[in-house]
Amino acid sequence: MDIIAIIISNTIVFAIPLLLGALAGMFSERSGVINIALEGIMIIGSLFAAVFLSTLVGDTEWAINHPQMAVFVSILVSGVAGGLFSLLLAYASIKLKANQVISGTALNIFAPAFAILFAYSIYGTTSDISIPRFARITPALLGWNVSEWPSWIYTLVFKGLFLTTPVAIILLVVSFVVLYKTKFGLRLRACGEHPSAADSVGVKVIRMRYIGVAISGVLAGIGGFAFSLVNGLTHNPDVLGYGFLALAVMIFGNWKPFRILFAALFFSFFKTIAVVSSTLDFFPTFGLSYVENLYFILPYVITLLVLVFTSKQSRAPKAEGIPYDPGKR
Amino acid sequence: MFKFLKNKKTPQFNGKKEKNYTFLASLIAIIAGLLLGFLILFLMEAVSAESDFRIPFIAIKAFLTDSFSARKQFFDIFYYAAPILLTGLSVGFAFKAGLFNIGAAGQAGIGGFFGVIAAISWGLPWWAALIVAMIVGFLWGLIPGLLKAIYNINEVITTIMLNWASLYLVRLLFWNVGNAEEKTLLNSIKPQEVDKIFIHNPGGVIPDWGLQNFFNSDNANIGIFVAILVAIVMHILLNKTTFGFEVKACGLNKNASKYAGIKSARTIILTMGIAGGLAGLAGGVYYLSDTIQYTINNPLLGIGFDGISVALLASSSPLGVIASGTFIGFLRASTDSFQGYYEAEVTNLILSIIIYFSAFSLIIGQILNKIRKNKNKNNLDNANAEPQVIQAKKSSDSEEVEVTK
Repeated sequence: MDIIAIIISNTIVFAIPLLLGALAGMFSERSGVINIALEGIMIIGSLFAAVFLSTLVGDTEWAINHPQMAVFVSILVSGVAGGLFSLLLAYASIKLKANQVISGTALNIFAPAFAILFAYSIYGTTSDISIPRFARITPALLGWNVSEWPSWIYTLVFKGLFLTTPVAIILLVVSFVVLYKTKFGLRLRACGEHPSAADSVGVKVIRMRYIGVAISGVLAGIGGFAFSLVNGLTHNPDVLGYGFLALAVMIFGNWKPFRILFAALFFSFFKTIAVVSSTLDFFPTFGLSYVENLYFILPYVITLLVLVFTSKQSRAPKAEGIPYDPGKR
Repeated sequence: MFKFLKNKKTPQFNGKKEKNYTFLASLIAIIAGLLLGFLILFLMEAVSAESDFRIPFIAIKAFLTDSFSARKQFFDIFYYAAPILLTGLSVGFAFKAGLFNIGAAGQAGIGGFFGVIAAISWGLPWWAALIVAMIVGFLWGLIPGLLKAIYNINEVITTIMLNWASLYLVRLLFWNVGNAEEKTLLNSIKPQEVDKIFIHNPGGVIPDWGLQNFFNSDNANIGIFVAILVAIVMHILLNKTTFGFEVKACGLNKNASKYAGIKSARTIILTMGIAGGLAGLAGGVYYLSDTIQYTINNPLLGIGFDGISVALLASSSPLGVIASGTFIGFLRASTDSFQGYYEAEVTNLILSIIIYFSAFSLIIGQILNKIRKNKNKNNLDNANAEPQVIQAKKSSDSEEVEVTK
């Protein structure tokens, strides 16, 4: 029972940054801008949130008395940092009509280098920033008495529970509502499908794309912070390819919010299987040594297979990657 | 037939060709990137506790000049350039067909692994080991090509997935093939590391043809010549053959090329395969130089991602890749000069700014063309008298006609 609880809770824990990253990619691509810079934006979001939480407010009385409030403000900080950073992409790819993949790649190179230099210039010795332990949500914090709970329920609920988890779920629902139930969402999607048609009925395509990329930056920034929380409460100048994986999850999820949730959980589940496979005996070894590497391949190969089987339904936003040029209408 | 292929897309403007400013734009990007990068050094110095503004000057001078201070340092430029030149060719070739190959890291990793296996376990000479690396990279590159051509799955996603898959596949293979148990691959003292190649098979190491003596450097080998040769071959393949034309046609407009009778599926598959082969060769050149310790817990190879920068800076032209690869090789070689003053990441910072600006090459080109246009206009204004003269002639002609009537 404990093992199942660990698998489920780990699946959720690692799905959260993927979910946020993929939602971020969705907003950008639905507005017509390919955001390959997710990885970089996540690093920047994680960096500023970690610096804020551990250095600026870490030891203050306010933070110790209201730990989750501090975490919440850090989430805002990560969102703002990510949003501002993503404007570099927006400016290049919307205003200057630069190649979106190139400018995104530039941001991806920039972010880790900047994170390392920034951390060094503050701390002098290391580029890793550890986040205070109070960021974790504990039963004591909620005032619950869990001493009589079975251990597996405790594991399921509290192992790796951070404020980012409920926030991510709220953001998922909000994303769905914004994208499908509001005028704004309709216009945003129109800009990604057929910008000149949108323009002809008075939608300001350029502005919508700026907003799409900015939302994307905010979500990816929060995703980066979520990653550093679940990654052993440490900010690394590296999110282990999660930004790129989020792009894959987004495509796997067919640019739709709830499918993205499913895709993130699916991918994260196989990743968790790989992580626990080396500690558990009942995974077959097929006569291979160091067989956990085989299980580490699985999430990628299975995702590829799923993409093959669902390729017929896959529909990317039609105008993604093409700078909008009113002159071509 | 070849004449037809030479027909480049140069729109006519005012009777004069619109100039292609990619080189100038890249140059501007490089200069702007270096300047901004250096500016950041000064900012960092200003922020840090004990600011000493002499340090950035010393560091920048070392960064710019160290590579030319001695033969050994000078060759390091080409030592770093050789593999990233090849990954740059790989990414650039895929770009020509409109495909983004982020997977060069994985292709180089798996190709390089088999290159090392071929040299150590199979005892092949270096050139055969390089070919093995290339073939393995080719096969690995076929996968995203097939997925793209048959199922229309975005190659960005598949190559990212295959990067990580290749990383773990190499680790799995490492422990299970290549006579791992007989310890021919593994260092007996440090089981995480692979023995140097020359211990088992001196012929498996890329030769230096006397370069080591001349440059007084252990890093010297003929890898750079291999890379340049391949770049020239790729230039010919792209610009002088039917296949190269098909690749470029697919990149410009997939549907139009299909309509024109080009088998776009076959072209895409082959393009990704060739891109993979080039990256695999890069992995081979990287490891068979025998100066890099092959460890089993290698992360994804940085040369794969540098290849993206190289290709972008050269706007995917194979001959341009020689220049941009050498330049980024210079940046990498110069990174050591920063040590002691700043973190090595300063190089990446500069590189990212350069790439960011080179993304504007289109805009820079447009601005430069506009300047040209304005100049032309001014010239025309100055020469406005000419058309009047013609008119006058015409009218006088007609008068004459009238007179004769």
